[in-house]
Amino acid sequence: MGYDSRMKKHIAIVEDEPALRENYSAALARHGYLIKTYGNRRTAMQAFQIRLPDLAIIDISLEDEAEGGFDLCRDLRALSAGLPIIFLTARDSELDAVSGLRLGADDFLTKDVSLPHLAARVAALFRRIDALRRPDNAAEIVRRGALIIDGEKMQTTWNGAPVILSLTEFWIVHALARNPGHVKNRQQLMDAANVVLDDNTITSHIKRMRRKFQQIDSKFDAIQTVYGMGYRWVE
Amino acid sequence: MSIRLQLLIVALTTLVLPWAGCQYARELETALRDSQEKSLLASAGTIANALSAQPQRVFRDPDDTARFDAARGDLYVFPLHSQPLLDGYRDDWGVAADPAPMPTATGYGARIQAGATERYLYFYVEVDDPHFEPEPSDVHPERDRFDRIDVTLQRPDGTRQYYFFGTDAPGLIAAQSIVNGGDGRDHAVEEPRIQAFWLETSAGYHIEARIPSSFVGSRLWVQAQDGRGGEKAGVDASGEPEGGRLFFTTAGLDELLGTFVRAGTRATVVDANALKLGVAGNLGTSLPGETAPATESWYRRFMTVDTPGYPLQSSAPGRLDTRSVSAALAGQSHAQWLRSAAGQELLLTAAAPLSVDGQTRGAVFLEQAGDQLLGLRDRAVTRLLNLTLLATAASVIVMLGFATWISLRIGRLRDAADTAVGSDGRIRLSMPESGSADEIGALARGFERLLARLNEHTQYLRTLGGKLSHELRTPLTIVRSSLDNLESEGLPDGQLLYVNRAREGTQRLQSILSALGAAARVEESIKQAEIVNFDLRDLLTSAVAAYRDGFAPARFALEAPPDPCFVRGAPDLLAQMLDKLIENAVDFCPTGGTITVRLERAQGSYVLGVQNDGPPIPPALHGRLFESLFEQRQGRDDKPHFGLGLYIVRLIAEFHGGTAVAANRPDGGGAIFTISLPLI
Repeated sequence: MGYDSRMKKHIAIVEDEPALRENYSAALARHGYLIKTYGNRRTAMQAFQIRLPDLAIIDISLEDEAEGGFDLCRDLRALSAGLPIIFLTARDSELDAVSGLRLGADDFLTKDVSLPHLAARVAALFRRIDALRRPDNAAEIVRRGALIIDGEKMQTTWNGAPVILSLTEFWIVHALARNPGHVKNRQQLMDAANVVLDDNTITSHIKRMRRKFQQIDSKFDAIQTVYGMGYRWVE
Repeated sequence: MSIRLQLLIVALTTLVLPWAGCQYARELETALRDSQEKSLLASAGTIANALSAQPQRVFRDPDDTARFDAARGDLYVFPLHSQPLLDGYRDDWGVAADPAPMPTATGYGARIQAGATERYLYFYVEVDDPHFEPEPSDVHPERDRFDRIDVTLQRPDGTRQYYFFGTDAPGLIAAQSIVNGGDGRDHAVEEPRIQAFWLETSAGYHIEARIPSSFVGSRLWVQAQDGRGGEKAGVDASGEPEGGRLFFTTAGLDELLGTFVRAGTRATVVDANALKLGVAGNLGTSLPGETAPATESWYRRFMTVDTPGYPLQSSAPGRLDTRSVSAALAGQSHAQWLRSAAGQELLLTAAAPLSVDGQTRGAVFLEQAGDQLLGLRDRAVTRLLNLTLLATAASVIVMLGFATWISLRIGRLRDAADTAVGSDGRIRLSMPESGSADEIGALARGFERLLARLNEHTQYLRTLGGKLSHELRTPLTIVRSSLDNLESEGLPDGQLLYVNRAREGTQRLQSILSALGAAARVEESIKQAEIVNFDLRDLLTSAVAAYRDGFAPARFALEAPPDPCFVRGAPDLLAQMLDKLIENAVDFCPTGGTITVRLERAQGSYVLGVQNDGPPIPPALHGRLFESLFEQRQGRDDKPHFGLGLYIVRLIAEFHGGTAVAANRPDGGGAIFTISLPLI
């Protein structure tokens, strides 16, 4: 890893399950991050008010607060608009995902995600932030008609307007658009997004992505469902 | 036996009321009869006492205690109420009794009857002698043989006078007596005051004779003789000097008796021979002012005081030989019910001894119609029976209505209990009748409590999968993340092997948990589903193409209409539903079998069928396959099955307003799962 101790990123893990907290902490520390762990919303918020981490991984249910993670996310977003936030939860309902992402989380991962995948996610988020701070270098640009995907900054635009996608969504669009016309099944999309999701969650991600594109262009129908198989990008 | 029938039978027990009424009426009648008997006996006793104080008005000769003996030629003299015509017939005598046979040693058939008015004594003889032997002229009774009636009369002064009747031609004749004539010979001389009418009949002859009362003492011997054979009937004065006694009724006794009897009662006084001395009163049919019922009440068929056991009323007008009279003559008062020979009328009789100087000299015999009692009883019983039958009918109707109501309520409860758990496994918690305060209401409330508990249990089971899936996820994640960490520590190959095995285990656990939570997730998705119009045929075409790849070597066939089939719904959910149906079909389809997906347009709906070549569905499973957590398959693969696949199918079908049905193919070659979806 190309970070020295001075540049070490601070990651806050808010998770009420101690064993899990320590496991995540150990895995991410191995990747060279500085980890602070918190067991509940109160202690986390106290710490955040003193110093903001570079990235926060938050469980939704925290001790006695079933939706404590959502509240924490909202408060944290109030403190900093640009702070990357990942929801990591045992919950996998679509509603939770939607709520989390609506509150401004950058990604929504279920606890099925493996530690290497988690680390990759974290790295990708940092990379996106870093890329956004650097001047443009036109590497890894995918253009498909009105769609432009910047693989470096992990940014997507449609007809020039930015489409705000979560990390998972970004990689799904990326995977589809790279090979237009090719059907990607759910497994392939999950692999591309480095997540383990069930079919419903993929479906809801696709639906949400379509909606985001349609907010820009109501005639958008580039993501097509091929029932029984998966999805494809059509130009 | 239905409750209705049971209560009907219970209601019929009220028929015991009319029965009891009948019993009561019967006892009432018996009591009434008893009292009627007693009162009649008392009347008889009173009359007997009154009469015994004046024997001279009761008996023609209070000192005469002779016994009546028909064999000695004794005759009872019936009182005649009008002067009969001498014509050889006794029809105008007004005597109901038949003539009595005359005693005979030779078998000569002859019958006699005597009667009296104030002025005359009549006697009537009929002789069975078809061969008429006329009287010769210049007759001499001891010499000549001819058909004749000999009469010896004891006069009031005690002397006897012999007469005979004979004729050469039938008609009005006079008695003849033998008189010693002036020539020293006996001559037959007519006595014109004693007349008779000789009447020839086919069987013999009748003679009706009339003797002035002043000629008659207390004896009369009558003998009929055949002119040819010398046969005889009757008695003569020389053969039976003590016979031939005449028994008269007592003059004035009828009037005397008449002062004692009440209306509807007939009083008869008999002497020690049971011969009537006087009669007064007559048997009215009923109480004054009342008419007898035209028809006998039908209830009588069911309840009778056993009148058929009563002896028949004897019809011997001259002599009363009933048991009560015999008892009274033996010194005992006695009452007896008699039955008229013709009809059903009952007659109450009572007899009391008539004693003179401590000696029973006769009896007072009272008769009273019994049917006035019957009329009373019939009316009472009819009213009673009508009332009780009305009550029975009313109670039967009320019971029947009540039973109907009860069984309706129970039926409602039963129907509700039968359908409380719907085919979709949903439980209805409210039961009819639960608001009622009675036992049926309590039963309904018991059902409700039971269903509530069952529902809690079912809900618990239904959510158990989701909860388990959720709760186990965290520990599983701990295990897996620990394995990740362990692996990152850089393990030697030997240890890495076990880590990998542990990881495989966690992956399997993961898929089990995922399957367990599937239904909960689908329910979640349904809540969020977006409804669009889309082409179902298009969906099926692409899906079946995908299944051909995904489930090789299973073969798939698609039969769909040529034109697009637009339905309204959530295509993702329908695709998921199809996935479950196909997975199910593939599991049961033998290798090389074909899975046919068929879409048809039916009335008002699209019918989507998925059929396979697998084994048929056992009958016991029909209708249950789509229930949550219903799983009957024998383990055929490693995949976990929680009985949620077809439940998900049903959830999605119902979300679209359709139905899911499983059936066996008509040819028995497999199962067919049919989903119907409404047309747009």
